[in-house]
Amino acid sequence: MSAEPQVGALLGILGFVAILLVFARIGGVSMTYAMKRIGMAVPLVFAVVTFIFILLELAPGDASTKFLNPDFPPEVRQMVIAKYGLDKPAITRYFIMMGNLAVLDFGRSISAERPVWDLVRTALPNTVMLSGVTLAVAYPLGIVLGIVQAVRQGKPTDTAISIASLTFFSMPSFWFAMMLQLFVAYYFSTWITGMIDAGTLPGFFSVFDFDVTGMNSNEIQMAMAVGDDVSWLEWAGDVGHHLLLPGVAMGVAGSASAARYMRSSLLEVIRQDYIRTARAKGLSERVVILKHAMRNALLPIITLMGLSIPFMFSGSVLVEQVFSWPGMGQLIVQSIFNQDTPTIVACFFVSTLLVVTGNLVADLSYAMVDPRIRYD
Amino acid sequence: MTRFATALAALALVGCGGSDSGQPQGDGGENAKRWPTQDTLVIASQADIGSLIPVKPRTATDSFIMANLAIETIDSDFDCSLKKREGLAKSWEWSDDGKKITIKLHEGVTWEDGEPVTADDIKFSYELAANPNVASPRLGYLEYLKPDANPRVIDDHTLEFEFTRAYDRDAQAAHVSLEAMPRHILGSADPGTLEGHPFATNPTFFGPWRLAKHIPNQSVILEPNWKYTGPEYRKPKLDRVVFKVIPEYSARIIALEKGDVDLVENLTIADVDRLRKEHPDDLDIKLRGYRAMDYVGWNGTKFAPFNDIKVRQALAHAVDRDRIMKKILTGEDGTLYAKPAVGTITPELCGVHNDDIVPLAYDPEKAKGLLAEAGWTDSDGDGWLDKDGQKFAFTMVTNQGNKRRGDTAVEIQADLKKIGIDMSLDTKESNTFFERVEHREYEAFLAGWSASLFIDPSTIWGTETLPDRPRPYNHTLYSNAEVDALISQGLNTPDPREAAPIWKDLQAKIYADQPYLFLWWLNIPVAIHKRFEGEKINVLSPYQDLHEWYVPADKVKYKR
Repeated sequence: MSAEPQVGALLGILGFVAILLVFARIGGVSMTYAMKRIGMAVPLVFAVVTFIFILLELAPGDASTKFLNPDFPPEVRQMVIAKYGLDKPAITRYFIMMGNLAVLDFGRSISAERPVWDLVRTALPNTVMLSGVTLAVAYPLGIVLGIVQAVRQGKPTDTAISIASLTFFSMPSFWFAMMLQLFVAYYFSTWITGMIDAGTLPGFFSVFDFDVTGMNSNEIQMAMAVGDDVSWLEWAGDVGHHLLLPGVAMGVAGSASAARYMRSSLLEVIRQDYIRTARAKGLSERVVILKHAMRNALLPIITLMGLSIPFMFSGSVLVEQVFSWPGMGQLIVQSIFNQDTPTIVACFFVSTLLVVTGNLVADLSYAMVDPRIRYD
Repeated sequence: MTRFATALAALALVGCGGSDSGQPQGDGGENAKRWPTQDTLVIASQADIGSLIPVKPRTATDSFIMANLAIETIDSDFDCSLKKREGLAKSWEWSDDGKKITIKLHEGVTWEDGEPVTADDIKFSYELAANPNVASPRLGYLEYLKPDANPRVIDDHTLEFEFTRAYDRDAQAAHVSLEAMPRHILGSADPGTLEGHPFATNPTFFGPWRLAKHIPNQSVILEPNWKYTGPEYRKPKLDRVVFKVIPEYSARIIALEKGDVDLVENLTIADVDRLRKEHPDDLDIKLRGYRAMDYVGWNGTKFAPFNDIKVRQALAHAVDRDRIMKKILTGEDGTLYAKPAVGTITPELCGVHNDDIVPLAYDPEKAKGLLAEAGWTDSDGDGWLDKDGQKFAFTMVTNQGNKRRGDTAVEIQADLKKIGIDMSLDTKESNTFFERVEHREYEAFLAGWSASLFIDPSTIWGTETLPDRPRPYNHTLYSNAEVDALISQGLNTPDPREAAPIWKDLQAKIYADQPYLFLWWLNIPVAIHKRFEGEKINVLSPYQDLHEWYVPADKVKYKR
């Protein structure tokens, strides 16, 4: 087996660690503490992988089950079993797998016969892009809404935003995704294009014409296929446009909870004495809220963000499926259907690392925002 | 989302100077001669391609796409039976005993890279298929080939296959038609990881189409193979065929209605009704034909009363199949998307399917009579049949996530209740379900078969009295020596016309035994945009002979 995927994975992980350490440095967190936290990821990944392996073992069938079909001679199934050692006892397979994982060898996907790392490498950036953009938009938006609510406490704006955020928060993301598809990508977009065709609306309204699925429009893909130059700008614009609906489907719940937290946390802070002092000093309301109150009120939001990273990942499984977004969510779903243990394990390995990182970044940011907190 | 992309493109043109799409580009080849083509067909595909390696297709879609990239040696179409036609082979000749076939290939056919396609490339495919490390799903092709399943190469364009026995000639012809694979490209590849070879998603073939681009988990784009050197009439008339990956069914339907895709397979009847109503001007509904059937297996090894033929006949009389079909398989306009099944041979094989079998009619009184003859009466007056103190109660299991089967199970339960049979229902996750069916762990199960277009009833009905390997798909341990004899006789009759009466006899015998409650054959609806003409959607493939599909000039949607 070529060492190239291992090198890739190793570089990825080292890069990760380096970024975290730089982050810690900037935040003024002690290196020992940061290293200790990063080191804790190892037993966690070990536990997750073991748990996943046990679950997969308990499920009936294995990767050879799909050859249980009169279209194939029974020998094919036997060959597949022999080829991948599926007849070995579970404990043997477990130790082989753990041995390989220890040297960052994810093995070969049974259903694709390709190094698992290749599959992960193709899918991961798409998921990171989707969740990253979603987080980057959803939380600031939630924070702004929360501030507005707190400032206008008890007024109709506050009530309206509360109702809206509770509604969105209680909606299952996959259902919301399907509704967006139907109402925005279909009814609304068809209506808009009809208006443009009739000359009622100018052409640039076509930004409201959303595709139902995918990451690129048919046109861009076809242009790429025949070797036409697709500029970076064109490609990014197209992807950004396709990102919008899945991003909204995934981000709305995040925005809503951020708004709820921000509202209550800010309300608590502005009742405190130092805020009264600030007001008494004659500072403008804007400075009081945005400068004095915000810094303290943001603390719980940072924790919330760290905790929501796993939700981003699990939410993406469903949303990616609905919007045909070619990311980790789809990879996980497919590998589960194919009972492709190496790929499933690798997916969870990567997502565990991301979750650990997310929490760590949240903790470190906490220390950065609040100088009273010191990790040693 | 045509317009937004166009706007973007216009924006980008300022930056990069644009490109003139009229000129041959990229690896399309500057010297390749082009012929006029227009418009694009966008097909919604549930999954990405798995592997386009002829000996290792992973999904049905892989095979459908491959059929357009390569040409089978002896090609097939379907009309009542598999019709053999020239493919990579120009002509072929059978020996008198039907055990040897000599194939002459078209000369001058080349791979996309310019190398000639030779008889040795076909031999290469058979070498790989025979390699246990490949674990080829096409292994069945080699069962009766000798020696070592390898063809004998006589010269660059002639080869010979020998069989250990003569059987259904259509099947024999298919078994020598594994697509050629380029030895000069794949000769050094590791057979154990063929699916992972770059060829699997970026192949080099010799057919009328070539794979222009594969965007993982997003799309597969075919364009005409401008260097195509085979028979003229196979030249494509469309600019491109795009397979757009959309895993979610509801998203495929919305994309279809919006016009993002032109073809969606396996529609539900509710959606067919709606599409017919809401899109009468732009969408057509085609039927693929009867390829899949549903049945209830009565497993006598788990629930002894099923061993009594009178009981099985009674159960058939007790279930009102016509009513159930009308309720769950009929459209609002009265179109019936199913046909009663009387066996496992599809009605599409018109010469072979036994049309004379009259399905047992719904007759609850007769059912009760038969059950009484078998000793089952309601002796204690509790409303349920019993015999020797045992109540007629069992469980029927089906797989989760299949609404049609779920609904069917409930209807059958209601019908059986009327004659005093207490059938409980259970659903199991698909993998669990099929594995347990294989191990004969259920008393009764509602499942289905997808029909093979080659007739080989031995896989489902054969028993240990047949030589050869064990039959893992005889899920109810059906055993009838006469049926076994007919199977042997039929399988050893090469001429399909001579075999037909044998197969008809076999169907009648099996139906009389009622090992299953045969329900129906499903006719699977496919929606396609109306601008296409010459389209062929049949039991072989939802996109057969893509080279014949075209769009009249005034209806073109995607201009180059």
